[in-house]
Amino acid sequence: MDSLIDLSEYLPRLGQGLVVSLQLTALSVVFGYLIGLVFALGVSSRQPWLKWPALVAVEIGRGIPALVVLYIVYFGLPALGVLFENFWAAVIGLTFTAAAYSSEMIRAGIQSVPAGQREASAALGLSRTTSFVRIVLPQGLRSSIPPLMGLAIMSFQGTSLAYSISVNELMSQAYQVSTITFQYLAVYTITGLIYAAIAVPATWLSVWVEHRMARGAV
Amino acid sequence: MGDALLIVLLGLPMTLLVTVLSFTIGVIGGIPLMLGLRSRTRWVRLTCRFAVDLIRGVPPIVWLFLLYFGVSFGAIRLDSLNAAVWGLGIISSAYLAEIYRGAFATLPSGQAEASAALGLGGTVTLTRILAPQALRTALPSIATYLLSLLKDSSIASTIGVADMVFNATMFARQNPATAGIVPFFIAAAVYLVISIPVAVTARRLDTRLRRTA
Amino acid sequence: MNVPLITEATELAIAGVQISNLSKRFGDHLVLDDISMNVKPGSVTALIGPSGSGKSTLLRCVNLLETPDGGSITVGSQTIRAGDRVKDRELLTLRRQVGMVFQSFNLFPHFTVLRNVAFPQEKILGRSREEAEARARVLLERVGLADKADQHPGKCSGGQQQRIAIVRALALNPRVMLFDEPTSALDPEVGVEVLTVMRELADAGMTMIVVTHEMQFARDVSDHLVVMADGHIIEEGDPAEIMADPREERTRRFLNAVLER
Repeated sequence: MDSLIDLSEYLPRLGQGLVVSLQLTALSVVFGYLIGLVFALGVSSRQPWLKWPALVAVEIGRGIPALVVLYIVYFGLPALGVLFENFWAAVIGLTFTAAAYSSEMIRAGIQSVPAGQREASAALGLSRTTSFVRIVLPQGLRSSIPPLMGLAIMSFQGTSLAYSISVNELMSQAYQVSTITFQYLAVYTITGLIYAAIAVPATWLSVWVEHRMARGAV
Repeated sequence: MGDALLIVLLGLPMTLLVTVLSFTIGVIGGIPLMLGLRSRTRWVRLTCRFAVDLIRGVPPIVWLFLLYFGVSFGAIRLDSLNAAVWGLGIISSAYLAEIYRGAFATLPSGQAEASAALGLGGTVTLTRILAPQALRTALPSIATYLLSLLKDSSIASTIGVADMVFNATMFARQNPATAGIVPFFIAAAVYLVISIPVAVTARRLDTRLRRTA
Repeated sequence: MNVPLITEATELAIAGVQISNLSKRFGDHLVLDDISMNVKPGSVTALIGPSGSGKSTLLRCVNLLETPDGGSITVGSQTIRAGDRVKDRELLTLRRQVGMVFQSFNLFPHFTVLRNVAFPQEKILGRSREEAEARARVLLERVGLADKADQHPGKCSGGQQQRIAIVRALALNPRVMLFDEPTSALDPEVGVEVLTVMRELADAGMTMIVVTHEMQFARDVSDHLVVMADGHIIEEGDPAEIMADPREERTRRFLNAVLER
């Protein structure tokens, strides 16, 4: 029982780590989705000079492990003379990954808007830009909401990888606490439960949102 | 550059080994979980649902650390490869169980009904009528999952499995100033070279299946 | 050579169906309200009525694809009462004696046409692969689809698929055949192929209960017409008589609407 009492002293540290994890999540999701929208528009474009760079960025972002992206930002940029604090290196890496994955979801959402919408807008005489921005895009983004919610939850879990580049988020704190207390099983179990306590209800929420959207209620 | 290339490639077999072993565990382990998810007994269904959600709710790196550092029965401890393979294997079982379940859910209800009306028993209906059709539907999702597992295998490097990322990290730490970034670019390139053909095949499989549906 | 659609052994085993005080609820909605019906062995009963009248639900209660909330059904000598805990064995016995043909055919897409007809025989009648496939070929030939045997159902037209579905059920020597709107998913010209097979089956002496919108079939082929509306049987009797001069106003309205199309 001693050991568990010891542990409770360290829970605040885990709490601090969680705060950092949530900050990483929020930043990478917000910036990532915005950039993802840009990528999505780029990939959908017919102009090759817009399409190919976007496509390459997306395929790379989706094709290489998030851990490798983090290492590249962490190790690579100093070599180029750019210095980032670990926290911001993680934000950049996680944002890039989130942008690549979200761009595919947004693109799929836009494509799923029935062709009839475009046709109707054109028939009404709306310009192509207005058609796209005011009619197609809003509907497309709406369809993307469920997968984007899922991606946000995955991004939250992905912040745990920032441990490997020494960012003091939850996983790092857990590692440090475990090496101090030697209560490996307990520490990692508690850490896992903390992640799950946020991720699992969030997943249930996103499933509920998805069902309500499918029924047309939202 | 040549050194970096060699060192990274030396890690490739381990990357593939971790991927294949955990995928195998997942493909097999997903089956009982899926059956539990579809069970008519409420407590079985709910327990499996909870298990799948919990497994997927914990980040892979936490699972791996938990198994590697936390699991010790007396003298028995998991070595890093086992911890990685079983950790990723359990996670894969949960994801694949969901994929299987989703595939069964999209089957037209008429298939189960026709089979029942003919008087084919439950086991035969499941194994000879429903499962072959569900498998066909699930194949693209399973292929996509395999790709994501290939990438997640890199997490094994954090507990000391000598895969590509582990080797790249070792090289980078020993040569920080000169070529820190190079081994990671090489590793990235290898991941891409392996995954792009598989992704293209998966997309083609998906389109072809949609057409014949 | 006119090969019979049903074997001699089946002819002797043809069964009747009794439905007693059957009721069924979906949530608050009472879909079947105290229905009683007697189907004599070898007779053809047509079940007609507006959508939502409960006719499909009634049919599906006969082979327990729907479980009734009250009453009982009897097929041959086997009776199942609502509320009984039906053992798997009993359920399989019942379903193996009752053949069913669905509106959406429900052939198994991953088997060839031949395997669709042979596989159930192997599993249920215990026939060897050779026996089952031989019988399958005979039946397919009988309905003019021998050349489709080695193709997949996806390559066959709707009318062909439905005839294959009928043969798949017949291969198991059922004592009763249920048809749930067999031609509703087919174009009229194509529906004729299927109705012809059903007619021949009726002539061969099979007990048939057919839910249908095909009024001509109901009048010409069936021995007994049952008209349903709102979960009740509102009228039943001789098809020609009822169609010429219905007793109930509801029946008259329904027939006028249908015959006008």
